[in-house]
Amino acid sequence: MTYIIILIVSAVAQYFLPWWVIAPIAFAICAWKSKTAFGAYAAAAGAIATLWLGYAFYLNSNNDGIMLHKIAGLFSENIKFLKNLPVTPTYFLIMAIIGSQVAGLSATAGYHFRQFFK
Amino acid sequence: MKFVKFIISLLAAAGLTYALNRPLGAVPALGRLFSPFEGFWQNGESKLALPPTNLQLDGVTEEVDIIFDDNRVPHVFAKNDHDAYFTQGYLMARDRLWQMEFYTLAASGRLSEVVGERALELDRYSRRMGMADAAKKVYENGKTNKIFDEVLNAYAAGVNAYINQLKYKNLPVEYKIIGYQPEEWSPYKTILMMMNMRNVLNGGSDDFRMSNALSKYGMDVVKDLFPNYPSNESPIIPTGTKWNFTPMQVPAVPAQTTATLSTSETVAFSVPQHSPEIGSNNWAVGGEKSATGLPILANDPHLQLTLPSIWYQMQLCTPTMNVYGACLPGAPGVVIGFNKDIAWGVTNVGSDVMDFYQIKFKDNSKKEYWYNGAWKATSMRVEEFVVKGRPESLKDTVFSTHHGPIVYNTASDKNINQNVPVGHAMRWVALEKEGTDLMAFYYLNRAKNYDDYRKALTYYVAPAQNFVFASNQNDISITPNGKLPLKWKEQGKFIMDGSNPAHDWQGWIPVDQNPTVKNPARGFVSSANQFSTDPTYPYYLGWRFAPSERAIRINERLEKMQKATVDSLRMLQNDNFNVEARRILPVLMKILNADSSETKNPAYQTLAKWNMKNDANEVGATIFERWIKELRYIVFEDEFPMKDLKSPMTYPSRNRMWDMVVKEPTAKWFDDVSTKNKQETLQDVVKHSFKASIDSLTLKHGSMNPENWAWNKVKSTDINHLGRLPGFGRQDIPNGGGAGIVNATTELNGPSWRMVVQLDKGWPKAYGLYPGGQSGNPASPFYDNMIDKWAKGELNELLFMKSKDEKSSRILGTVKIIKK
Repeated sequence: MTYIIILIVSAVAQYFLPWWVIAPIAFAICAWKSKTAFGAYAAAAGAIATLWLGYAFYLNSNNDGIMLHKIAGLFSENIKFLKNLPVTPTYFLIMAIIGSQVAGLSATAGYHFRQFFK
Repeated sequence: MKFVKFIISLLAAAGLTYALNRPLGAVPALGRLFSPFEGFWQNGESKLALPPTNLQLDGVTEEVDIIFDDNRVPHVFAKNDHDAYFTQGYLMARDRLWQMEFYTLAASGRLSEVVGERALELDRYSRRMGMADAAKKVYENGKTNKIFDEVLNAYAAGVNAYINQLKYKNLPVEYKIIGYQPEEWSPYKTILMMMNMRNVLNGGSDDFRMSNALSKYGMDVVKDLFPNYPSNESPIIPTGTKWNFTPMQVPAVPAQTTATLSTSETVAFSVPQHSPEIGSNNWAVGGEKSATGLPILANDPHLQLTLPSIWYQMQLCTPTMNVYGACLPGAPGVVIGFNKDIAWGVTNVGSDVMDFYQIKFKDNSKKEYWYNGAWKATSMRVEEFVVKGRPESLKDTVFSTHHGPIVYNTASDKNINQNVPVGHAMRWVALEKEGTDLMAFYYLNRAKNYDDYRKALTYYVAPAQNFVFASNQNDISITPNGKLPLKWKEQGKFIMDGSNPAHDWQGWIPVDQNPTVKNPARGFVSSANQFSTDPTYPYYLGWRFAPSERAIRINERLEKMQKATVDSLRMLQNDNFNVEARRILPVLMKILNADSSETKNPAYQTLAKWNMKNDANEVGATIFERWIKELRYIVFEDEFPMKDLKSPMTYPSRNRMWDMVVKEPTAKWFDDVSTKNKQETLQDVVKHSFKASIDSLTLKHGSMNPENWAWNKVKSTDINHLGRLPGFGRQDIPNGGGAGIVNATTELNGPSWRMVVQLDKGWPKAYGLYPGGQSGNPASPFYDNMIDKWAKGELNELLFMKSKDEKSSRILGTVKIIKK
């Protein structure tokens, strides 16, 4: 349930607000809903990973991956080992890690916030 | 304990979020960049993305229709000129905003604000040149012309209408990667954009290098090796054309023609070399030579090729005009194009319009300098640089004399403690402050005949261009045109004396006395950046223009051409024949031939069989081009070092070298001065350079075979991203050509727009394309979609619509701009 709420609320919020709004959203919803620290982390990280992966997948396939491959070219020119990795999975993974870690850590902080005041 | 857990987890979360939301050195804010809601994913355009069918914008006075064709070229139909230029600004911003702003940042010396320290030297140079200052004054002067002011403001309003509705997620991806925001556009920025073109096309000088050669070898040698007119020219205005004007009094050559103070180590120029090779081709054949009985015109301006492309195609239709052509992002109107009645094109005039004066200051304060027997005050301005990543701004003081700004780089800054400080002032046509350049295009866009063309040209200042013209009244013409300084013979070939009034520019050649020719007997007009005229023209324009091979080839082919069609002109644009090889290869081969061991060399045999065309797959072209480059280096680098830091010079032209090879085979210049006890002969250097070429090609490309040594592989044309973002350009484009070839495609330069227009009493037929695409968005299918066709030498038929109601299967969709 927490997972679904975060997914929907952050999808709507990110349309209007900067990307980092996922942090306070995960914090607040997990402070309110979560029963365990790990539960909070998993729900928020999972929700944002799902949302970002899904939306990026949609945008990327509409564009035949042109943008992604240009960005990959740019990064791998500066960080050489990226050259040897398959572009699509690598960059989707990087993106998922960024989004899910921000959300997951914020969610954990939200859970501990609640525990502190309990 | 609970509190500690909370604090730790909060710090971790907040720290990570904060870190991902801000740039770290050159690394952009990764959270924002990767977020699919805001970051680069949002820039991925879907295949046929058009804007919504209706745009409500503040700024149009009536409804505007924009019809997009299948190459995503917008055809703008507006009910008045204001709305047309507004829409042009809006559309260019939508497709090319980052590029437009990049040019203005470069011209005004502000790149380091966005990219940091690495652009600082370039910025310092641009600021010292004073282009931003000049641009401001050009606009101030220009805006007294009401039309000019209205056009520029309407265009700027259109650009700003686009910028104002931008959110981060819609920013061009370069802004996201580099991490900055677009600024408001203004007419001043359009002028900066034009300044950028002046700098690219007119911003070089050989004066310092020539002065070095003069002080080392004396006037006789310089006259011999650096003549004022080449032996093999085919000038733009055909030899024998009458000058039907009474020339002004040409200023007398003063007794002393160069600077008198010692130049040793007082200047270390960062000024780029004069490069008239950044050239272009254009021509028009008259009705008697064409299959249709009416003129056909062709143009291909050669510039450094970049993505986003230099040009943007557009049709603009209002009650006062209906014009199609290539536009410059950042500037209103069409620069190279055609309308119902006429077509026109441009190539660069390589005249000498940047001169340097040696200045003697009174003392280190540089407040006064010696001029005409008295101390004269300099003016001073302080340039402030905001550099990304630096907490404080930097300052640079620039002094100006009546000639122009003092330009010197850090090396000479260190010499500031000398007793008599010597600086060098620059006189440069690009800093001229009349503001009417764009009006020339304004009137050309609306021109109906030859007289309109001639009138339009009077507005043009710089960079001087060869304006080719053709009309459906069966007129053709070409005019090297712009503001050209009135000089005594050889004025500005060397650094001049800033204290001598006779060394000042002596005024201007009257614009109606600029060289021109209308309907010449030979039935065609053409230019390829070669000398504008033969030496019978009463005024001195410069001593070095682009080498004449392209011009010779174009003229000999047009000479023979009968019943010319669009396709015959297109093929000429793609002509790969090597005129230089025809002239000199047999001579060089004969020298090699003398030694039977060379004739067994496979490289020799390949060259012997070569068809003298720089086609993509030719190995002969690879060997020849490498060889003459090596030969020129071996012959001249010892005596006229180009790369010498203290006292750089420039080589005599290739034409002069071939004359020497044929007519003066025992010239002392063939000797390598670095070998003390040995006297090298022409034979020695020819053999040595041949061997060195083969060795270096083998080293770089493996042993000779048709694949690795193919000309296109070795030349390897790259079209890089304008901001040098790796992965955003296109590398190793398969095509032929070369520097002295009509198809002037080199490693980085080439035909940046190819156009052929067949005039017609009814409606013209036009063809064209450029190596890129309409969109500046690297993720758009229209970012580089024309490159492959361009590389093959094909052209697109251009859709030139009679009205907005015209039906065509090539129309993708219509967008209306509606007044808000």
